[in-house]
Order: sequence, then structure tokens, then C-alpha cells
Amino acid sequence: MRIGVEVGGTFTDLVAIGPDGVRVTKVPSTPASPDEGAFEALVRSGVSLAEVDDLAHGSTVATNAVLERKGFRTAFVTTRGFRDILLLQRHGRSRIYDLEYRKPRPVVDRADSFEVSERVLANGDVEHPLDVEEVTRELIPALGAGRYEAVGICLLNAYVNPEHEAALRDLLRAALPDTTISVSHEITREFREFERASTTTLSAYVQPVIDRYISRFQRRLADGGFAGRFSIMQSNGGRLPADAMRSAAVNALLSGPAAGVMGAARQAGRAGYGNLLTFDMGGTSTDVSVVTDGRPQLTHEFEIDGLPVRVPVIDIHTIGAGGGSIVWVDDGGMLRVGPRSAGAAPGPACYGRGGTEPTLTDAHVIRQTVRAEAFLGGRMAIDPEASRAAFEPIARRFGMSLEEAADSAIRVADANVVQAIQLISTQRGLDPRDYVLAPFGGAGPLHAARVAEDLGVTRIVVPPSAGVISAYGLIASDFTQFSSLTRRVIADDTAADVMREAFAQMRTEAVERARSMRLDGELVLELFADMRFVGQAFEVPVGFDPSELAGLSAQDVRDRFREAHHRVYFFRGDESKPVEFVSFRLGVTLPLAELPVLTETETGLPVDHEIDLFDDRRWWRGRLVSRARMRLGEEVVGPALLEDPTSTVFLPAGWVASRDDADNTTMIWRGRDA
Amino acid sequence: MPDDGITALTALDPVDYAVISQSLTAAAREMGVKLIRSSYSNIVREAQDASAALFDRHGNVVAQAELIPMQLGPMSDTFAACAAVVPPSELRPGDFYINNDPYKGGQHLQDVFIFSPIFVDGALVGFAGSVSHHLDLGGGNPGLTPDAADVHAEGLIFPPSVYNLDRDWNGGPLQRLIAANIRAPEQTIGDFYAQFAANAIGAERVAQLCRRYGAAKLERAMADLIEYSERRFRAALAALPDGDYYGEDAVDDDGLSDTPLTVRAKVSIRGDRISVDYDGTCPQVRRNLNCPFASTVSATLAAVKSALTSPDIPFNEGVKRAVTVSAPKGCLVNPHYPAPVRARMLSAYRCFDAVLRALSEVAPDKVVASGNDSTHSLAISHLGGEKYRVYLEIYGGGFGASPRVDGCDGVDSALSNCTNTPVEATDMDFDHFRVIGYGLVPDSGGAGRRRGGLGLWRRFEVLKDETNFACYSDRSRIAPWGLRGGEEGGCTRIELTRDGETTVLPSKTKTELRRGDVLTIYTAGGGGYGPPSEREGARIASDIRDGYVTAQAAMAAYGRTG
Repeated sequence: MRIGVEVGGTFTDLVAIGPDGVRVTKVPSTPASPDEGAFEALVRSGVSLAEVDDLAHGSTVATNAVLERKGFRTAFVTTRGFRDILLLQRHGRSRIYDLEYRKPRPVVDRADSFEVSERVLANGDVEHPLDVEEVTRELIPALGAGRYEAVGICLLNAYVNPEHEAALRDLLRAALPDTTISVSHEITREFREFERASTTTLSAYVQPVIDRYISRFQRRLADGGFAGRFSIMQSNGGRLPADAMRSAAVNALLSGPAAGVMGAARQAGRAGYGNLLTFDMGGTSTDVSVVTDGRPQLTHEFEIDGLPVRVPVIDIHTIGAGGGSIVWVDDGGMLRVGPRSAGAAPGPACYGRGGTEPTLTDAHVIRQTVRAEAFLGGRMAIDPEASRAAFEPIARRFGMSLEEAADSAIRVADANVVQAIQLISTQRGLDPRDYVLAPFGGAGPLHAARVAEDLGVTRIVVPPSAGVISAYGLIASDFTQFSSLTRRVIADDTAADVMREAFAQMRTEAVERARSMRLDGELVLELFADMRFVGQAFEVPVGFDPSELAGLSAQDVRDRFREAHHRVYFFRGDESKPVEFVSFRLGVTLPLAELPVLTETETGLPVDHEIDLFDDRRWWRGRLVSRARMRLGEEVVGPALLEDPTSTVFLPAGWVASRDDADNTTMIWRGRDA
Repeated sequence: MPDDGITALTALDPVDYAVISQSLTAAAREMGVKLIRSSYSNIVREAQDASAALFDRHGNVVAQAELIPMQLGPMSDTFAACAAVVPPSELRPGDFYINNDPYKGGQHLQDVFIFSPIFVDGALVGFAGSVSHHLDLGGGNPGLTPDAADVHAEGLIFPPSVYNLDRDWNGGPLQRLIAANIRAPEQTIGDFYAQFAANAIGAERVAQLCRRYGAAKLERAMADLIEYSERRFRAALAALPDGDYYGEDAVDDDGLSDTPLTVRAKVSIRGDRISVDYDGTCPQVRRNLNCPFASTVSATLAAVKSALTSPDIPFNEGVKRAVTVSAPKGCLVNPHYPAPVRARMLSAYRCFDAVLRALSEVAPDKVVASGNDSTHSLAISHLGGEKYRVYLEIYGGGFGASPRVDGCDGVDSALSNCTNTPVEATDMDFDHFRVIGYGLVPDSGGAGRRRGGLGLWRRFEVLKDETNFACYSDRSRIAPWGLRGGEEGGCTRIELTRDGETTVLPSKTKTELRRGDVLTIYTAGGGGYGPPSEREGARIASDIRDGYVTAQAAMAAYGRTG
């Protein structure tokens, strides 16, 4: 039996896949101690822990610790002269006309920032040796006596030469055995001291939180008779064994959205789709990302609460558009949706919990693209009159009918999603038409068709149980770990040799590390070279398959870079412009031996009859269908609503849906006249 | 809600309008991000001293990448000077306008504006424009020339003109002419390439919209977006009582004498219009503090927009329509050719401060106290063999406090938005100096119910003899003012330590440095807001705990430590 338990902001989802098939469980989350909700879901699912071989877990515990500043007291240590780098940050402002601008607040206060005498130069030379005597005399007493749970160390230029950081780490570990010590070169070996210090302090800050959480979870699992493998999701879309995660907590900050991407990628992959635009719309926000050849796009420029984190994460873009997003008209007369959300309380007007502002969910209720009687599988009462009353002022403002106003709101939301997808596709040099759209989350499948039309995408693949795909993503993910190596050299005639050498060195270390985590089996390696034209400051990642390294020429390496640079920046340059390597990153993956199989489940509601719905400025007569009852080879012609217990698919006119043999619902654009 | 909103919107479907206008804004933002990321000099790629915008086919700004307020304000005026020379109707694909002439719509020479026409099916539908601060454009001294007698001594002037990418760039005559007249051609020519690439991205995105929605809808949406900003801007102005309000502030000196350079503003509000007149401002000066009129307009717009309106109103042509700016010819903020203008930011900040001061009479709740409000610009350069190494960076300081929040600490000031250069980047790129310290200046924020933001300090060790140092800086004599009983912020100070002796350098200067010299700049903190007696004890105690304020200074300012 394999189980994925995903703790989200509102619900905790569980997917159990065993010999008897698929079980899906949804319980309310318990934000104060997320493991309560997780174990409640385990109990409700009726699974015996002793039967579970593989348990994968994702939670918001690290993310919330940062957002709510609920981590443990953490100190920061850096090179003398630079204790304020966490506060100075990059000296710019994200809102240029805001006279009351405040910078993002670091997780370490100024009073908890310390300096040591030492200085390493950009070429790695030691200008001033680390003053060990001073560390013993001043720093250790200042950090001592249980004042800090964790210490983050980031010394200047340690990404080139980490010897001082390592020495300081060892001194502090010896003197303060109960304190978590995080050092920058072990977390990210990239230049730019503020970003590296920010990553390091965030890592130190969440480390004890994750460590305690995992320990508690493991104890409860053991008490329940669990003897299988327990793993934790990371932001890069791979899992790590729970024990290894206890020292890599910073990799968990974006794990929730990453699990959804992996679930969609795996499930669509079962039907042969490798290129996906994932589109996860929930109650308050939408996450979009790109999967190419089955692999999510990674970035290492991610921020949490405005603070930079430089570790590889799935390149997910989030916007404030969800079912609870408020529809409004601004003081310049523009129709807008979000980012403000009615949340779960009071929620959309139709919830009847005191919400009076119109939301996207209300717009669907008015258009009848969400059936009041089928909301959340029929478990929640909905008041359509409240939705209509909430939309009345907007309809009046634009001289429209209520249905037209609701329809306009949905199209504005769709446009926001389209823009978010363009940001991660078109703006990265990718053509959305080479991809299929993979919508999931409670509301993704409702908006997918129109979003696809605007992007020029003609095929949509909706995974089964689309509302809980994140929990499936946990058990469908491989084990993955990344390492990086900064090596700034010109990509001249030796370019291919430089790559081969860097790869050989990294491979040895990475494979050893994987084996020490008991990741046994055939490991898959992928190599990225971060390259740029000499003089630029930002690198373009260029991916290489290790198997092609042997036959690679220096010219090939440079050509591949120029191609990648042109895709993003519209500039190719020529051989007269020198190119350099900045760093290499190696991904080590242990693929799953066997992918768990997700299927559709029954709604238990009366289905397959005719309905009326409003879309694209007019009323339509359409069908209502249960996704679980669609037969292989049967085609449903839009307009139609296709329901399962976790989400509704809206199939507008011009689209045709069918079920594939991996249980996905596939939608194909046939055109307006079809 | 104003009725004219409805009539303006009925012309275009609200959804099409929302989608096109937001796509234009996204395209401008993409231009800005990619301009910075593909640039070469530390002043663009790290400090982000660059901006980008999209224009309609008449040259009205429609959407901007919100990067540097100063560069963004008058971009359409800079454009108009080009269009006056060669009308847009005569442009062909591949042509571009270029302009950096302070006396023809430009600001200072380093900010070079490039505008590329956007053609779709042979028809002109708009322009993509970008501006970068170029590291060195020649002139009398590497990086910057504090003692320039006129604008010609400050570098290469591109009068408003048209060139063609294929013919004149890509190794062509214009590129070679520029490369031969500047000190760091590899970086600077690379930064020009980044501007052309950014314009190409903007053009491609606009062309995509045009193909999708048609030229007519695109044009209508552009016009509507401008009207939208104008409508929201005017609504905010209309909420203020009519009247004339006065404010003044001054630049410390012109670098030659100790006389302050006073800027006076009369702000007149009439209904939904605002006009600002700088009559009474001191005459233009012999050094580079003169502020070209385009910069004066920009500073004024930024002050009015920041103080009076919501930060989310998109800045475009519509904002400018409600504001009139005037200044007598020959004064500091509207100089005659050929006065040098390089340090125009300092005088522009006094325009900003004078307007805020005037507005504090009518909208005390919206205005903040004065802050560092200076661009401290430092150039440290060295000629080694046949290669110039030019380091140029600008520093902000503390923001003034508002009625609600303490001023922001150690951040670039309101008219600019440059980021710092990482110390690890200067370590990598320069071997004639090293940054040996960088921090906040305790006690530099003015006391008050809300405290001014702290200034910052940065310290350099010089590693080579014959290193050239040039700077312009301000607020070293006249401190940032507090409001409503709030106290002044701390002043700027530049110190040179040589052979164990520390001297204070003038704020506008040029000198030669030697190996072993240590140079430190401390920038100004912001003024406080409201009487110090009203500050909560918990805030004082927490400031002391974190070392933002020392216990002695707290006793002096607040008479207590908690």
C-alpha cells in the first residue's frame, strides 16, 4: 500500500493506492499542528499503518513557520564589517511610488547578527585568516547558553573557498552541540552575499521546525505499527527520505505546489503527454508551471515573503485568482478580479456565511457552470440568490445582465491566468502551442478550456481526482537531490573538457550521498551548466544529458548556450563574444520502480441529464456527465459539465471530451463550428 | 464613481480592455526585466539603473516597467524631440530614435533613450523605448566629471536623431563612433545591445496583441489605459481643497562656494488640476547641479503621484495631463545651454522635497518627512595598461517617517530605485579597491513619534596608487527635515583615512587616491514625524535592543530608554 498525505491551507488530502484500488480522503486541515490533520486523514481512510510500504508527506509547516515568523530564535554570523547585509538587502524597492515602503523582514533580527574577523577574496585567496581565538573569546559566549536554536553562517566569497565557513561550523558544533549550524556553501554555492545569506538564515530558521515535526511524525507512525519508507516532498518536485530531510529543510518551502505539478506530470505522462502547462486553481490562488518532456522547469530564484531563497525549486508562478477571489470595479472603472479573496470565511456570497462581495465562485453559480446541488460533491449548501444579489452592482455599472457580468468576470480571471502562463512560457522563450494544458485543483478544470483557447492550446488533459492530485503527486514522485559547483571559467576550446571534469567530480560526490541515504538502484543524472556572455551578471541554464558529454565539442557547448540565450533575451551574439561558465548543477534522481495508478471515483450524485448554462455571452443547452461513468471511446460534445467528487470540468461548445486508458479526461478543441 | 468612466468604457468591451491593457503592462515589465538581466555594466545589471516603456504610435507613454521614477516621468518629451526631427511617418523597419541631449528633452548624458518603432503588416502601431544609465560616455574624467565647465565636458551628446540598426549598428559606423569615444566600450556597447533587445521584445509582444485583437482595438485600449490613469489621478486631486501652497528646500552647495542652492515651489490646486511653479529658485550654477527641465518635470510628477495618489495607478501619459510644471529659464531647475547637468538628481530631489513640503500643508496625512533624498554617486576608477576599470555606484539612505510607519532604513531614495552591487561582484570585477564594510548608521534616523529611516555606510580600501575618485553627494550640511514635531535626520559625511589621519571630503569632489587609503561614505537618515514624546516605549526599547538607536541617543531624544 502506498499513501500520499498532503496538508494544504484548508484541506488535508490523502490518496491511498493498494491492491484494492484507490481511496481518496479529504479532511479539514489543523494549522496549529498539521500532523493532527494528517493522522486524522489516515484514520478516516481506514488504512492500517502496518500495511503501508511507502508513505510520502507534504506539509506547509516550513512555509508557515516563515510566513508567520514562528520558527525558533536564530542567529546570523558573517564577515566583519557586514552584519547588516540581511537588512540592507539589495537597496531597491518593489513599489517605487510608495513613500511608506517597508523592506521584507528578515527572519533574524539585527541584535542577533554577529561578525567574525576573516576575509576571503573572489579568487579564493585568504586575505585575513579566520580569527579562531576571537571566535572562542567573543562569538561562542554570545551564541551560548541556549540563547539560539539555530545559527546561519554566510561568509564573503565562501562560495569559492569554503574553508573558513567549514572551520567556523566545526568550532560552533563542538562548542554548541545542541544548536543547528547551517553554512552557506553547503546550501547554495552561488555568488551574491545577500541572497546566499538570506537562503542560509531561512534554512537555519526552518531546520529545527522541520526536524521536530518529522521526529514527532515518525514516532506516531512507529506507534501505529508503520515499518515502511517515510519520505518528504521537496520544492524541486522530488522526495527525500525523511531522515535526510531533517538536514535539508530549506528544500521544503514550496513543496505543496510542487507535489501538484508532479502529480499532474506523472498522471498525464501515463497517457503519453510529456509537455504540459500545469494550472492549479484553488480557493484563493492559482499556481502555474511548465513541464517539458515530463520534467518540471526548475528555477533557483524563488522568494518567500519577499526573502530570496537560492535553491532549485519548480518554477511555479502564483497569482491571486481562485474561487474566492473578489470581483470588483476599481476607481478608474476597470473590471478586476482578485487578488483580494473572500477566503474560507466569510467565503463567496453563495456560502451564506455573511459574504456580500461577488466572487468567481458566485460567477460560476450564476452562469450555472457550477451546480449548486453538486458543490463539493453535494456536501455543501449553496444560495444562488445571494450570488445574484452580489453581482447586481457590477451588472448595473456596465449596463449588462447578471449572466453577462458573471461571464465577464470569469473572462477577466481567465485572462489573468493566461498572463501568468505566458510569464513562464512565452517570456521564457517557450511556445504554449507545443504543450497541453493540465488543469487541476478545485477550480482549474472549470477554467481550462477558455484559458487554452487564449493560449492557442488545443488539447487539455484533466487528471482523475483532479481536486486531490497533489496527494497523488507525493507517491508518484521520484527521489531527487541537487548539488552545485561554482566554477567560473571561459568556455574556450577546453569547454567540453571543463564540463566533463566538473561532471565527474560532482557525480562521485552525489552518488555517494545518494547511497548514504539508502537510495539503492539505477540513478539518473542530469547536468545543467549556468552560462553567460562574459561581463553579464545573470546566467542562462543550459541542460545537458550526461550520456552526450563524451561526444560534445567546445563549439557545441557554446552553440547550445547561444541558442538558450536567444530564446529568452532575443539576442544570440556570435563567436566574437566570449562565453563563460559560472556554475554547474547536478540532479540525481532515483526513479520509482513502479508508478502508482490513479483512477476516477464516483460522485454518487444523479448524473447524465440536460442542463442550461451561460457562457460566452449566451445561454446553452448542455449535458451533465459523471467522469467515472464515461466509457473508453465515448465522446462528449460541449457544452457539458463533467463531474467527479473533487472537481467539475467545464467543456464549452467547440470542445469534445473523452476518457483515455489512464483515466484522464482529454478535451480537444474542434473549433466554434464543430 | 465618476460617470465619465462608463462612457469611456462602453467603446471597448470591458474584458478586451482589461486583457489588452494588462498585457501591455506585462510586456513593459518583461522589457525591463530582460534589459537588466542581459546587460553588462554593474550600474545596469546590478544597480538596475534602467527603465523601459511602451508608447502609442504618437509617442504617448502607455505602460512602463516601474524601475526608476526619474527616468520614466518625461519619456514622451524625450521622444517628442526625436519626432520633431524626423516624423514617425518617415520611419522604416530597423530604424530607431536616440536622444540623450539635456537641452532637447533629455536628462543627463548618461541616460541614453532609444525608441524603436513597432510595425505590424507595414503599419506603425506604437514604439518600444528603453533607457539605461551608461557607465561612461567619455567626458573629462572616468565615470563622472565633477568640475565640468559645460555639458560638453560631461561626455558624448546624442542629439535627437534616427539611425538604422542594420546600417549603423552591428559593427556599423554609429557603434564604432561610440566605442571610440568612451572608456569602457565592452560593457557600454553590451548595454546598448541589451537596450535594442529589450525594445525588440516589447515590439514582438505588441505585435502579438495587434494580430490578435486588430490595430483598432489595440489603439482604443492604449487610449483607454491613458484615460484610466488620468481619471484616477484627477479623482485623487479633486479630493484636496483648492489653494496655493509653498515649500522650499536647498542643495548644500555647488561645490565651489558654501552658498545653499534654494529651490522654491508654489503648488496650486484647482479642482482636479495641479500646477507647480519654481519661480524664486536660485539661478543656474557653474557646476553640474543644474537640473534640465525634463528632470524637473519628472521629479515634480513623482512627488505629486507618490504623495497624493494610490501607488497602483499605472504611470503613463494620463498622469501628466493633470499636472503643469513651470520654471523660469536660467534658474537651477531650467538652465540655459550649455550648463553642466550631470548631478541634476540632487537639485531634482530638492524639487521633490519642496513639493512635499508644500503638500504637507494641505495633506499632512499623506506626506512623509524628508529623507536622505539624494543620489550619492561615487566613481572609483583606474587606468591599468590600456584598460580603464570604472566602478560607479549610487547610494540611498533613510526614508522620512510617515504618520503611520518608521522610515525605511538604508534604501535608495524616492526618485531612484537602484539596487546595490553585491560585494562579491565588486570583489570579482575590480582589483583597484575592495569593499571592507557596509552597514546601517545607528542614530541617523530623526527622532519622532515615528522614527526616520537610518542612513547607510560603505567603506572602501584602495589597493592601487593613482586611483581616481570622483563623487557628488548632498545633505552633508542641510539635514533632512522632520514633520509635525519630528526631528531632523543625520547628515551625509565622506571620510578619507590616510596614514592614520581622517579628513572629511567635500560632498562634490574629485581627488586621487593611494594604495592603503580608506574611504567611507555615511549617508543621511530620514526625518522623524510627530513629537518624540509620543513614541511608544516598546518601540524605543526595541530600537535600542537592535542597535538602531543607542541608549545615549535615546535618552537625549526621548528622555527614556523604553
